[in-house]
Amino acid sequence: MEKINNSLSVVADRLRNSEVFFNLPDKDLLEIAKFCQEEVYQDGQTVFVEGDPAYKLLVVERGKLAIEKKIQLGRHSTPRNATIAYVNPNQVAGFSAIALPHNHSGTITAVEPTRVCAVDGMKLREYLDSHPDAGYQVISAITSLVRGRYQSATNTLTYFLSIVSHELRTPLAAVENYLQTILGGFAGELNKKQERMLKRCVIRVTDLSGLISDVVDLARMRPEQIQADFEWFDPGEVGHESIEDTRLAAAEKNIQIHIQPPAKFKPIVGGRRRMRQVFTNLLNNAIKFSPPNANVYFRARYEEDQLIFEVEDTGHGIPPEDLEYIFTDFFRASNVGDSPGAGLGLSIAKKIMDAHHGDIVVKNLTDDDGKIIGSLFSVHIPLNLSTPEMRRNEWMPIKSNKD
Amino acid sequence: MQEQPSILIVDDDPDILDGILMILESKDYELRIARDGVQCLEVLSEEVPDLLILDLLMPRMDGWGVIREVRNDSRYANMPIMILTTVIEDASRRRYELETGHSMDIQAYTEKPAKPAELLSQVEKLLLWKK
Repeated sequence: MEKINNSLSVVADRLRNSEVFFNLPDKDLLEIAKFCQEEVYQDGQTVFVEGDPAYKLLVVERGKLAIEKKIQLGRHSTPRNATIAYVNPNQVAGFSAIALPHNHSGTITAVEPTRVCAVDGMKLREYLDSHPDAGYQVISAITSLVRGRYQSATNTLTYFLSIVSHELRTPLAAVENYLQTILGGFAGELNKKQERMLKRCVIRVTDLSGLISDVVDLARMRPEQIQADFEWFDPGEVGHESIEDTRLAAAEKNIQIHIQPPAKFKPIVGGRRRMRQVFTNLLNNAIKFSPPNANVYFRARYEEDQLIFEVEDTGHGIPPEDLEYIFTDFFRASNVGDSPGAGLGLSIAKKIMDAHHGDIVVKNLTDDDGKIIGSLFSVHIPLNLSTPEMRRNEWMPIKSNKD
Repeated sequence: MQEQPSILIVDDDPDILDGILMILESKDYELRIARDGVQCLEVLSEEVPDLLILDLLMPRMDGWGVIREVRNDSRYANMPIMILTTVIEDASRRRYELETGHSMDIQAYTEKPAKPAELLSQVEKLLLWKK
């Protein structure tokens, strides 16, 4: 008898250390310990699979579990498992044992040799039903854990997208490859009509792969990655490159881009390629949403501790109720109509500017009657940024006085 | 008369292979194909081509694995490698460096789909490459 009580109290201790049961008094823990069982999993072993009935709640004692979701696009792609979270010692997997419909919402795999304390789900539910105080404590602990996992869902989403995008790109590359081969005349002569249609195909397919690249780009958009590429560059040069990037689109709609640079551009530190991406995106938007034959203004000026670039268009502006959302992932204003885009360009631009500790802001321009006559985007780049080398030198060991 | 330059093209996607072959067949090259990294190494061990055109994401052994094997083998020291892939170049180089601790010793990196004219001029240039 004494022996059993001892081992029960050991299990109760383990439960008390866990993120779900830590609030329970000893008497509840000792009761729950009665329907716990120790289980051991080998590295790589699947503990349970998404959709399985959830019979147990697992408290990890040692090792590590991964929560995974299976992703498969179409019939031909290889299914992949995306890890959405890890479960470390004292953390808990298998909440679904408590929540209806009692089916696991993810797959759990051991990524290290792992020992768990498995709580019988059915008995746990019965116990919590009949002991509402304990039930309340457990449910509130689980609610806060689920909140945390919910927040990390954005990261998971971008990870999903990067896999999904790759799966989309592969067949698209084959199509583009064939189109280019045919257009190049490698599969025989083309008549004018065929050539024109194939050229349109290339344009449409290129747009599509651009959209997919945006999605991949967003998934890779972490501030430390952007900052690692900081270097000295001439902002005027980058501005010119962006104008080059958009020249064709502007010419198609006969849109004039008016350039208003400062008296002299001075070199700044930042992500050169990323900054070009921001300017090009703003100019492209201005062109896309302006009527034919319109004017677009591209300005730059220095102000105390920052360099400001502005892109002004004479389009139909942004609906006021949309203004606060336009830098959000996948947001597209309600008045964009059929214009192509995934709604990622501005959100990518915002992430780039955040990594520069700068800002990107927007306002609508109105005439005297309050009618919207265009929009103005401004990009603020701080002038005190450091390259990775400069940052390293700032942290060099201090020389002794003898030197 | 000079011998035909030989090129080995490695890709698991039959449509990509088909398109690339059609472009390269317009020139006087001797073309071979392999469908994955393992097959690539088999073909290489029989005969060293004048150029290897290599995809990265493939079953059995991926392109990074092939580069690692080939660049550790003196028989292939003079064989230029051209990567032809949908993987973005810097991500790809970073991955190779993380896995091997070395920078990726390749002679050209082209993101799919390659324009036929660019592909041909790049191939021509690489055939002149010597270590």
